[in-house]
Amino acid sequence: MEVDSQKLQRKQSTYLSFDENFEIQKEVYRGQQYSQIYFARLHMMRTLLYSLVPNWKPHVPVCKVLGLELGKVCIVVGTLYKHMKLKPCILDEYSKERSATPLVKPHNFMHQDDYLVLEDESGRVKLSSAILSPSVYVTGVVVALLGKETSAGDFFVEDVLEAGLPPQIEQPLKSREDKYVVFVSGLGFGSSSANPLQFQLLVDHITGHLGDEEEQGLAAEIVHLVIAGNSIEISRGLLNGQNLDSKDQSRLSDPIKGLDILLTQVAASLPLDIMPGSNDPANFSLPQQPLNRCLFPGSAIYNTFRSCTNPHCFEIDNIRFLGTSGQNIDDLTKYSEAKDKLEFLERTLRWRHLAPTAPNTLGCYPFTDRDPFLIDSCPHVYFVGNQEKYETRLLKGSEGQLVRLICIPRFSETGVAVVLNMRNLECHALTFGTQFS
Amino acid sequence: MNRGGNPRKRPPPPSQNQPSPATKHQATGEAPPPTPMEEDFVDEDVFLEETLMGEEDVESLILRDIEQRQALTSRLSKWARPPLSDAYISQSCSIAFQQLEIDYVIGESNKSLMPDSSGPAAIIRIFGVTREGHSVCCLVHGFEPYFYISCPPGMGPDDISRFHQTLEGRMKETNRNSKVPKLVRRIELVQKRSIMYYQQQESQPFLKIVVALPTMVASCRSILDRGIQIDGLGMKSFMTYESNVLFALRFMIDCNIVGGNWIEIPAGKYKKAVKNLSYCQLEFDCLFSDLISHAPEGEFSKMAPFRILSFDIECAGRKGHFPEPTHDPVIQVANLVTLQGEDQPFIRNVMTLKSCSPIVGVDVMSFDTEKEVLLAWREFIREVDPDIIIGYNICKFDLPYLIERAQTLGIAEFPILGRIRNSRVRVKDTTFSSRQLGTRESKEVTVEGRVQFDLLQAVQRDYKLSSYSLNSVSAHFLSEQKEDVHHSIISDLQNGNAETRRRLAVYCLKDAYLPQRLLDKLMFIYNYVEMARVTGVPISFLLSRGQSIKVLSQLLRKSKEKNLVIPNVKQSGSEQGTYEGATVLEAKAGFYEKPIATLDFASLYPSIMMAYNLCYCTLVTPEDVRKLNLPPESVNKTPSGDTFVKPSLQKGILPEILEELIAARKRAKADLKEAKDPLEKAVLDGRQLALKISANSVYGFTGATVGQLPCLEISSSVTSYGRQMIEHTKKLVEDKFKMQGGYEYNAEVIYGDTDSVMVQFGVSDVEAAMNLGREAAEHISGTFTKPIKLEFEKVYYPYLLISKKRYAGLYWTNPKKFDKMDTKGIETVRRDNCLLVKNLVNECLHKILIDRDTNGAVEYVKNTISDLLMNRMDLSLLVITKGLTKTGDDYEVKAAHVELAERMRKRDPATAPNVGDRVPYVIIKAAKGAKAYERSEDPIYVLENNIPIDPHYYLENQISKPLLRIFEPILKNARSELLHGSHTRSISISTPSNSGIMRFAKKHLTCIGCKALISDTDQTLCSHCKGREAELYNKTVSQVSELEELFGRLWTQCQECQGSLHQDVLCTSRDCPIFYRRKKAQKDMVEAKRQLDRWNF
Repeated sequence: MEVDSQKLQRKQSTYLSFDENFEIQKEVYRGQQYSQIYFARLHMMRTLLYSLVPNWKPHVPVCKVLGLELGKVCIVVGTLYKHMKLKPCILDEYSKERSATPLVKPHNFMHQDDYLVLEDESGRVKLSSAILSPSVYVTGVVVALLGKETSAGDFFVEDVLEAGLPPQIEQPLKSREDKYVVFVSGLGFGSSSANPLQFQLLVDHITGHLGDEEEQGLAAEIVHLVIAGNSIEISRGLLNGQNLDSKDQSRLSDPIKGLDILLTQVAASLPLDIMPGSNDPANFSLPQQPLNRCLFPGSAIYNTFRSCTNPHCFEIDNIRFLGTSGQNIDDLTKYSEAKDKLEFLERTLRWRHLAPTAPNTLGCYPFTDRDPFLIDSCPHVYFVGNQEKYETRLLKGSEGQLVRLICIPRFSETGVAVVLNMRNLECHALTFGTQFS
Repeated sequence: MNRGGNPRKRPPPPSQNQPSPATKHQATGEAPPPTPMEEDFVDEDVFLEETLMGEEDVESLILRDIEQRQALTSRLSKWARPPLSDAYISQSCSIAFQQLEIDYVIGESNKSLMPDSSGPAAIIRIFGVTREGHSVCCLVHGFEPYFYISCPPGMGPDDISRFHQTLEGRMKETNRNSKVPKLVRRIELVQKRSIMYYQQQESQPFLKIVVALPTMVASCRSILDRGIQIDGLGMKSFMTYESNVLFALRFMIDCNIVGGNWIEIPAGKYKKAVKNLSYCQLEFDCLFSDLISHAPEGEFSKMAPFRILSFDIECAGRKGHFPEPTHDPVIQVANLVTLQGEDQPFIRNVMTLKSCSPIVGVDVMSFDTEKEVLLAWREFIREVDPDIIIGYNICKFDLPYLIERAQTLGIAEFPILGRIRNSRVRVKDTTFSSRQLGTRESKEVTVEGRVQFDLLQAVQRDYKLSSYSLNSVSAHFLSEQKEDVHHSIISDLQNGNAETRRRLAVYCLKDAYLPQRLLDKLMFIYNYVEMARVTGVPISFLLSRGQSIKVLSQLLRKSKEKNLVIPNVKQSGSEQGTYEGATVLEAKAGFYEKPIATLDFASLYPSIMMAYNLCYCTLVTPEDVRKLNLPPESVNKTPSGDTFVKPSLQKGILPEILEELIAARKRAKADLKEAKDPLEKAVLDGRQLALKISANSVYGFTGATVGQLPCLEISSSVTSYGRQMIEHTKKLVEDKFKMQGGYEYNAEVIYGDTDSVMVQFGVSDVEAAMNLGREAAEHISGTFTKPIKLEFEKVYYPYLLISKKRYAGLYWTNPKKFDKMDTKGIETVRRDNCLLVKNLVNECLHKILIDRDTNGAVEYVKNTISDLLMNRMDLSLLVITKGLTKTGDDYEVKAAHVELAERMRKRDPATAPNVGDRVPYVIIKAAKGAKAYERSEDPIYVLENNIPIDPHYYLENQISKPLLRIFEPILKNARSELLHGSHTRSISISTPSNSGIMRFAKKHLTCIGCKALISDTDQTLCSHCKGREAELYNKTVSQVSELEELFGRLWTQCQECQGSLHQDVLCTSRDCPIFYRRKKAQKDMVEAKRQLDRWNF
């Protein structure tokens, strides 16, 4: 048999991780608060925005919130704070009267009375404007505003400057061959909607155990798998501090074992990155730290298995990827509005901040000297996991930046994985079904 | 009577001339001292010259640094009041103003107005504001102090003039230093009648004694009390009448002026002062007979645009001490000035010691020395000229502190804060006490012409809350947590830089803003002005005095109309005057799952007084009952055995006052419905509330044994009628509504309170119960004398009756939906309970009454108890808080919070609580037999050192009683089921990190799975547990995850409260429900992270 000539060789690629920015190693909790992360963010963003101001509005004076004078047109840079009427508050747990009616609309806390406030270290001022819609912005975004103080003590905003898309490393054109990266999220092992067979199909597909030669040929061009969060779901009820009996122990460990077996198959044939998500056995605050290797005794042996942080930043063949397991975008949908999910992605890029609502409504480690979520270099691929449906768009920046935005759907609910071709940043969905129709 | 037996220490003996209730107990065995009793009113003559500083001194003081001031003055001058119009300047128009404050001084008689008189005389000063916002100081001349005595029979004009001479002679002896030429001005013979007892004759001769100065009323009274030698009559003592009426009140009564009304002086009747004594824009002299007092109706029910100043000061205390004016500087003063009726302040500023970064929308004025800060504030007060000064605890703290501080610094010109030029404010200690409010020590700072309104006093008076800190009061009424900066941090902020001082200034401003918001929210201005108008007393009396002066004022006004005089009864001050109170029908405890209709007597006690004509002047003495031989049809014999005549013989004054109050309330309520303008509505609502309170306080006045005019015959008759009516109602309901009467079920009265009766008609439908309730109310009302009326108001369904005065139920006024959950006497607001009790009780009642899920409630209790025993309880729920009112030595019984404060002082004097602070504590596990007070501990110390709390203390001493009360009517074996069930078997107690044997223990790493020791420090698990790695890791990480979530939510909430993202949270408000949780989350996070890090091998 002419096996050798038929033997497919999986394509290789170079991989670089930029996760150290998201790693919490020496940092410890020692009484620090959240003001420092805001301070760091404002400091970095202000330097940036100040550099843009001369091109935006030359000759307009720049001042701090305190320096505002009645009627004087000026530019102020500060952190936005959105005052929200419906925002849930931990103090409500202690309120005198137990409210008989549950919260309205738990998926979105917007209200027409919401308003924005601009704050810098010198003070805050309430904003009024026709062009700055409170529904678009969230607490934590740093912007430059042009306007003047009114007699009511408000700051009337006439124009807004966002930082805009960060500069992008020029896309290397030399590796112009088809190489694919597969994204999947929300495998949900252990949840009621999980279907291990479905994932087995995906694994078989990308490892080349399925389909005819042509398909195998395509599979051989897959150079990387990214699992963007929520791979395991363990019912919280099992973890209440009580000792577990053996039945519950297996309910807890079986999904993890199941995942490990499948990941071992993947890791044996191609590199994979696994990111923690909100349901995974990982910490809660962003940045989430890599899933512990002790959970994956099988796959962790392979050097192709990488347990990564969330957010996750890496380069394959000099193409830069940045993504999260979805918490940052989910939080934006709760506290602001957009026509689709991709718009939220776009906004975070323009704000140059992955998760502006952290720490306000999104759990976050209290960093003291930096804000790891600032985006200083524009990625070529920007993805978020655990969304309802697959969406994608190519975003073009004003300075020629080109970004592929991807919403990765929950695999356990949709059976969809996303394939990206690194040659042209084109993208398509792979759908797996286990039902015969 | 109190020697040795009194467990409570008395307050220190009062210094001279201060009204204090303590004195009455010291009187045993000696002659009763003339010291005033509770609520006695004394005038205090203030001589104008004495209050003023030498004119030149002040001028020179002010001139000295005039240049420095100029900048400040120009900054302040833009806030001055609107300039006077030409009509005012030319004195061609009448002056109408709303008065806020009335007092008097002694000055030289006004020669131009009263050419005939000379020497010192009392001048009434009325301060107020015109419609345009001009400040007014009206000096009223010619009103003289007087009182009455009954005229001995057979006294002719000659006798009177001899009596006058004798009295004058005796007065001269007692008032040797007086410069007044004639002490007793004149004695007139008048025809009056005493208010006491029914009398058949129309009037009797009385002598009206007019004296020169108000204080002479008291000295003249005591001469007459003791007895005076009269030719032909011998030694005789006299009963005095209306000799205890404050001079200002006397003036108001005689001129028909009520508190806060409008006064007008026609053009030409006033004379502009030659030399202004005050800082007011309009200052003039007039005669008291020329005043026109407008009743508060129509146009004159409105409010003038007063200026309300809300302020707060910050002091830099030394470590470990509460700030003292003798040592600690005033570092900031924040001020907000609002015009009455506007919703935003028009001035916001803060005066700081040393530089301070600017604040948006606030005028920040920084000074280099404390003296400049204080003087700037004084200057500010003078320029802005506030009519009302408000704040939180200003009377006891801020104002006295400023004044004492200025004294320490030797700033002689500082305390000129009032409206009288160069007149200093006076500070004295006062003790205010009344039966209703208990004894309160306070300081009285007299700021002439400006009303002080301390929100703390007002809230304490009007609301029953578990804590009166500004934080919890604003959380309660404004649903806003206020950040609280501990006074030890304040000094650090002050010693920092301009930024940290700015931080402090923001905090200080908030403290100045909250009182204003409370004032608005609780409508205090409207309610208090209306109360002053209804009862006729000046506004300042409402906060500084008790209930009885309000009734007395009305009684005096009414008596004057009727030509009656009120005797100044010698107060016995003994306890003889107790009488049987209201009856409460036996409560048939239980959980009623059928609707319970409630029949209420609408204002029962006032109605009884009206129905049976109960009054001082209708009471027939037992002697007269025999003598007068009154026909039985014209008298009422009350169930308590007293006799009152019916209105046909003599209409009572109290019933008349009550009728007017009730009619006025009806009118106000009708107008309220009509009113559209929100300000007008506020006035009317305040009025109807004031009228209601006033009507209800009349009964109390007659029963106050140490009050002004107690008459137990009236009060005991009222309660005896009340009891009779409740019994009568019960009987009628149970007789009529039964199956023999054609009704479906037998009605049963299950409980009756002072003025309401709860009936179970047996029907299970709310609407049917309502109909029966209405029918019963109508039927029974018909059997009572008018205006006593039984009303059907509400249905309770379901109803949990625990015992008398304790119940809970859903409150229905319409058959479709219940209005609310109503509870009475159930531990939800008691101060010395921890939050856990309140939450538990609320949740249980909610589950039982609203969800109708008794099993759910039981389950909830069990889970909570299990959480408590398993050490899973949020610590803030277990904190008990008590105020530290004195140091440990002054308490005779050891108390938990006092002992703790002592222990904390030994640990760290800087952060230990001081007198005046509230001490939060939890009860911890300690050696067997330790007393509860030894087991109290600081919650923060407990958190930091993992000290185990004592769950059994909480179980037995805190939650068991309230729970059993609720569950006993519902559940068989409630005690064993709830408190001793299987959920109480497993217990977990944390190991303290700092105490006992743990100090000698050596720490080893143990396996996270099975706690076996492991020698290799790189390992997390022992070899046996290796297989359970995933499970155990999951546990650790899920713990971390939960904590991280909590940490984030808690700390961002605090950022929210403080209103800044870029600055650290400083708040240490222990009243905040999340304070301990936040602290605990921070600490637990460290430990959990360490545990998690052990996995990263």
